[in-house]
Amino acid sequence: MNTRKAVGILLGLAGFCLPWLVTFPGLSFPGHVTLGVFLLAAAFWLTEPVPIYITSMLAIFLEVLLLSAEGPLCQFVRPPVAQPEVVAPTQTFRLPAGAVTSAGEVFVARPAGNFDKLKVEVVERRADVVEVRSPALSASTPVLSRSDHWLARYSPASYRTFFASLADPIIILFLGGCLLADASVKYRLDRALTRLFLRPVGTNPKLIVLGLLVATGVLSAFMSNTATTAMMMTVVLPLLAGLDADDPLKVAVVLAIPIGANIGGIATPIGTPPNAIALAALTKQGLSVPFVKWVLMALPIVLVTLVLSWLVLLKLFRPRTRELKTELGGTFDRSPKAWGLYVVFGLTALLWFTENQHGISSNIIAFLPVVALPMFGIVGKKEIHALPWDVFWLMAGGISLGTAIKTTGLAEWMVGRVEWSALGGFAIMAGLALLSFLLANFLSHTVTVTLLAPIAVSVGTVAGAATGFDLTTALIAVAVASSYGMTLPISTPPNAIAMGSGVIQTQHLVKAGGLIGIVGMALVLVMTRFFWPLFSR
Amino acid sequence: MKPIFILCIEDEPEVLEAVVRDLAPFEARFPIESASSVAEAREVVQDILNRGRLGLVICDHILPGEDGVSFLVSLHRDPRTAGSRKVLLTAQAGLSDTVKAVNQADLNHYLAKPWRREELHAVVRQQLTEFVLQHETDLYPYLTLLDAARLGERIRQQPLPADE
Repeated sequence: MNTRKAVGILLGLAGFCLPWLVTFPGLSFPGHVTLGVFLLAAAFWLTEPVPIYITSMLAIFLEVLLLSAEGPLCQFVRPPVAQPEVVAPTQTFRLPAGAVTSAGEVFVARPAGNFDKLKVEVVERRADVVEVRSPALSASTPVLSRSDHWLARYSPASYRTFFASLADPIIILFLGGCLLADASVKYRLDRALTRLFLRPVGTNPKLIVLGLLVATGVLSAFMSNTATTAMMMTVVLPLLAGLDADDPLKVAVVLAIPIGANIGGIATPIGTPPNAIALAALTKQGLSVPFVKWVLMALPIVLVTLVLSWLVLLKLFRPRTRELKTELGGTFDRSPKAWGLYVVFGLTALLWFTENQHGISSNIIAFLPVVALPMFGIVGKKEIHALPWDVFWLMAGGISLGTAIKTTGLAEWMVGRVEWSALGGFAIMAGLALLSFLLANFLSHTVTVTLLAPIAVSVGTVAGAATGFDLTTALIAVAVASSYGMTLPISTPPNAIAMGSGVIQTQHLVKAGGLIGIVGMALVLVMTRFFWPLFSR
Repeated sequence: MKPIFILCIEDEPEVLEAVVRDLAPFEARFPIESASSVAEAREVVQDILNRGRLGLVICDHILPGEDGVSFLVSLHRDPRTAGSRKVLLTAQAGLSDTVKAVNQADLNHYLAKPWRREELHAVVRQQLTEFVLQHETDLYPYLTLLDAARLGERIRQQPLPADE
């Protein structure tokens, strides 16, 4: 075990225990518990003593244990209950002094375990007992004897809520996208499309770099960035064999793939997990962003940065050769099953893009390929097993943590510390996006957005009044900014794959990825200020 | 990552030089070592194993002292070099020697002298691809030089790295 992991475990445990030892004024007891889970998950996600998806599973488990109504904590804590003592036949009862709040309220236990608030008339208040009058009370009504007990203000969610985060509609949306992508790989649709994209650019090296950026971008909008990069590498690396060992074109070609993949992932909700996380957070707030709306919001910045990447790559790595042959084998598969895939893919995409016309959520449409592809034998058990379940769990952990933070009041408490309205809406959104970009250079993009989405939502509930703060814009900015975090080999798996080819050096990646990332981030700020808020009007 | 070496054994200096020259395109990824006798080759193998792995041996049969086939047999018996790909490049190996090489050294290819450059390239490409497929998990660095179709097929079947 290395130092980083040991520090991570210590930090995580310390973070988990802290809220049990220290009482923060204004934060409920469940809020403290949630804060502990959040700190533990954050420390583990940042330092990775265990793979990040396991941290997500751990978070879900802790939430079920400590926060759900059926969990041991809520099951075993027996709230102190007193029975009203009848004083006079005229509905007057005597209760322990602590049972009645200063506003004249008592909490009546319900069989389900939570409490109903009941307004009573205070007749007389003495040092240890209070006499109250209420027609709703009787000698057998169980009344919470300490009205400041945490259970009084907490109605715990069912454990189903936390487990159900794995079946969150946004995860279903992502699952549909993943299955379509897997089937495309199986029938080599990805390769055939790449060939289609590269044919018109001929042998001009400069145009080939553009063709690669666009082909990778388009594919990664529908497939995972990593899978796209892996496939494209097997296509382009053999093309480099004929080039001089030190021709900069090699670097430009190999860098075009991860950069195209990272940028292309921004384009659709299913392009990369961070988009889905942001969408899930928005959906929880009742703000729906249809598939096509996301594409319209994201496409301009994707196109601009793809073209910019082309210029940057050619400027930094000017090709020496005049001609590069790109003879790619493979055509479109014409077997009946492949045709089945084309039909299902086409239909799903069509329905996704026409959500405004038919009004059926893209999350529901995403289940069409999940059902149709196995039903017609286009994919089998093997592809179902090969789905990225670790990514689904990772996302589920984030979603359930978001739920816990919101329902326990931790959200309001966290952001209640800062005078947000003094900052102004744009400053808050820009700050969140910048933080996302910075973190994403070092962390998994999904983890970055998972950590920032609940914070953005919390800020949103408090700062909603501040001029110009728009939650949809804020979350999209956070998600898009994370995709531009591509400076280092560790920033994203596509970068790591490109480094693994042995063709490029770290400094090449840092130069190109850093420059394009910073320009992309600047554009995110411009979009946040002028473009994205237009969609919320 | 430990480098994968190619070892050429040939007693005639001009021929050795020609083999090494023809293999030049592979040298960027696969360092080439050479020896002119079996005794020298054993030392070179020792040296290679200290620094990396022996991926491919291209060996003449008639050599001063011990012959090439028995050297290949001894390589095959050593677990450290049992998986190395073995190619006999010779004009004078009789049937019995060749049978011995196939049966006891698991000979992968028999290349007759004089060879054509393209032929040698194809054989080396195929053998190194086999070695890499059997012994490597990270295949991207080899896509440029080796059989990209086969490596690509394997990459498609491999699980993808980490999360985005």
